[in-house]
Amino acid sequence: MLRMSWSTFRDRWQVFVGAILSVCLGVALVQSSLLTLVSAATASVPPGLPPEQERAIRDGYVGAISLLGMTLGLAVFVAVFVVSSTFAFTVAQRRRDLALLRLTGAGRRQVRTLLVGEALLLGVLGSAFGVLAGLPVMRLQGAMLDSFGFVPPGFTGQWRSWILGVSAGVGIGVAVLGVLAASRRAAKVRPLEALRDVGAATRVMTASRWVVGAIFFAGSIAMLVLVATVGGEAALPLSICASFTLVTAFAAVAPLIVPLVAVPFGLLFRGRLGVLAHANLRTGVRRSASTAAPIMVLVAFVVGMAGTTGTMTEAGRQEISRDLRADLVLTTDRPVRDQVAAVPGVEAVSEEAQVSFDLGQDEGEDGLVFEPTNGLAVDPAGYAATHRMVVTAGDLADLHGASVAVSPSESGGWRVGDMMPVRLDGGPDQLRVVALLPETVAGPYILLSPDLMRDGPRRYVVRAADPAAVATGLARLGQVTTTAQWIDAYADDQQKMSVDIMVALLGMAMVYTLIAMVNAVVIAASDRRAEFAAARVTGLTRGQVVGAALAESLAVVAIGVLLGVLAATGTLIGMAFAVRDMIGISVASVPWALGSAVVAIAVVVVATASVLTTLSATRTPAIRLVAARD
Amino acid sequence: METQATHRPLDAPETTPSAVELHGVTRVYGTRTAAVRALDNVDIGFPAGSWTAVMGPSGSGKSTLLHCAAGLERVTSGRVRVAGQDITDASDAELTRLRRTVLGFVFQSFNLIGSLTAEQNVAMPLRLAGQRPPRKVVREVLASVGLADRARHRPGELSGGQQQRVAIARAMVTRPAVLFADEPTGALDTKSARTVLRMLRGMVEGSGQTIVMVTHDPAAAAAADRVVFLGDGRVVDRLDRPTVRLVADRLARWEE
Repeated sequence: MLRMSWSTFRDRWQVFVGAILSVCLGVALVQSSLLTLVSAATASVPPGLPPEQERAIRDGYVGAISLLGMTLGLAVFVAVFVVSSTFAFTVAQRRRDLALLRLTGAGRRQVRTLLVGEALLLGVLGSAFGVLAGLPVMRLQGAMLDSFGFVPPGFTGQWRSWILGVSAGVGIGVAVLGVLAASRRAAKVRPLEALRDVGAATRVMTASRWVVGAIFFAGSIAMLVLVATVGGEAALPLSICASFTLVTAFAAVAPLIVPLVAVPFGLLFRGRLGVLAHANLRTGVRRSASTAAPIMVLVAFVVGMAGTTGTMTEAGRQEISRDLRADLVLTTDRPVRDQVAAVPGVEAVSEEAQVSFDLGQDEGEDGLVFEPTNGLAVDPAGYAATHRMVVTAGDLADLHGASVAVSPSESGGWRVGDMMPVRLDGGPDQLRVVALLPETVAGPYILLSPDLMRDGPRRYVVRAADPAAVATGLARLGQVTTTAQWIDAYADDQQKMSVDIMVALLGMAMVYTLIAMVNAVVIAASDRRAEFAAARVTGLTRGQVVGAALAESLAVVAIGVLLGVLAATGTLIGMAFAVRDMIGISVASVPWALGSAVVAIAVVVVATASVLTTLSATRTPAIRLVAARD
Repeated sequence: METQATHRPLDAPETTPSAVELHGVTRVYGTRTAAVRALDNVDIGFPAGSWTAVMGPSGSGKSTLLHCAAGLERVTSGRVRVAGQDITDASDAELTRLRRTVLGFVFQSFNLIGSLTAEQNVAMPLRLAGQRPPRKVVREVLASVGLADRARHRPGELSGGQQQRVAIARAMVTRPAVLFADEPTGALDTKSARTVLRMLRGMVEGSGQTIVMVTHDPAAAAAADRVVFLGDGRVVDRLDRPTVRLVADRLARWEE
């Protein structure tokens, strides 16, 4: 049977090269993300550094680990999605071959063995190439993280020999799993189908697709509802998770949606070629669905994630503008509180200093687990005078000595009176919770007592009767900005970081989905030489055949974009509701520019791939292909 | 074998047992208003060791008859027996076993696996049955269809006539009791067609195999032992020891 697999492989190389490529890149992506993650998690901070610097490096790694965790999740999802859809498609492409085998006496089990054998072969080859390709990908990923400042300088992913097992397991496992479901369907192929041209009567929308679609759709709804209740830092990973499940649900029901979407195209594509393209779109439902799948993933993730982070940034901006009752922000590199208060015209001033410390969580059996975090040490009277802030419990005025006020957006379920275990350089090892802050998107999540401030940089938020005059007075103390400027700078900073995070998260996966699109187009065209030839014999010029195929591809892109936007909209709505629940601000940011750019790229890539493959498939004079079938 | 004799259709003229029998077979496609009766209560037996050609205009149900008789398609009502076994409700595994051992197929469009060499294509049914066919056996079969020197070629490198001969070799290698052929000469030139018909004759005479062949071509039908004419899903006529002229005359009459 393996020899049979090998022979088929030799013959249908475009399909199989496509499948190998999808495994290879998927493995490379997962391997690189995993190695980078493990390297960041096990990285040791060089000894002999001053405590502040050591902490900064440690913080850098902690941030990198959570980012890389998400990257890995995303890489695994996209790899599984692309590989399994590619493999299912290659099986569907070969119905006739399989029927022929059945006619010659192959049992169902043998058909399955054959397909799984093939998947094994492709998985092994793909994984082998993937392990090699993973090395430059890892360097690329490391360089990207470094350039965005997500990892301490000098960080590189380290090779681990056990990764060979993981990569092989992922590549082979995903390939085989992708084929298992498809092979069960393929084993049901009836021998008679070998004698008919297309198994057009075969139902693409199977019962299992319904079930998977329904389960994942319900799961997505549940998760989006949950986003609204958990809020805070869990919202982003959860909404990414919701886009995974939404995408899976849409991919499952895609065969149902493709013809629906094809209807408006029927109205749009007039003329002979349009009719042909439209008809092909409808009959090649599986082909259309397979090509649309990677486009959908790309659009759903890019638009969904950009929308989510954009919404968070905008919500944060509006929250700060709403809550800040001050005119100027002064940043200095040393404490200058008394000088600030002495400037004539200053009505209120809040002294604020960033404090890094480790926060302990009681993890049951593991005892206390400390994680690095940041708090803002403030003087409560000045803070209350310059911020519109209603504590939900306790009293901010009690914030002195070893005490703290927390927002529920910081997980832990703190209540007033609780003792919070901390590790603070030169400070107490327990802080008493004296007040609970309202939910917040922009932070600060933790306010510390002014007694915990250390010497070092300060921020002074100042309310003034005549801001312009006070600004001149403050200028000699440090850098002065109006609050409007300061908020804009904050938002720009956040936005830039969001984009960086997104590129770091999605960059590789995006490239992968683009390649998967080309892959799907090439695989789809490999089967259509005879069909194109028939169209030409019927009287179409080569240009017209290419045109019809192009129109069809563009329609498929539109379908993918539509489904992707739908999935992204779901995520975005969930996020918008979450934000409104948390801070009472209704806001949703739609990434028009980025979305359009992604669509434009998809159109260009798919159109180019389609035209090139159709040209190549119509190179042989049509009549030769029509005459010789086998 | 006795049960077979008692169930033989009344109108079967031969006294030899039938290799394939259809009893009151009806096959309906579609439902209700769109229903088409491709076969309408057909009783027919194909005597063992004989060659029967099935003819009729397009849409007369020839191919459906062949598919139902070969167990490729389920009948709506009636019974089908092949080589003494009732296959009407046979499971897929059972039908698969039959295809490996008792049934052979040859079609107009050759249906060879394009990625395998002639030799591998011929060996395929045995391999699927879990046997490791000796190369000698495969070579002999290929030699018997005159393709000893083409064993290593793939279908794409062979002419239509040669491909059909590979298909016949593939059908011969398991020594099936019944060979079903659907327009085996349909895509061939006259000379290749004659070669193929001569080989089919050899299977009937040499090893007593039964052939059921659907064809449009009076010359092909004339090579058979008898011809059955189908019209609108029913058997409308039959002809023993046909000649090209006799077949053409009957056809002309039925197609008027």
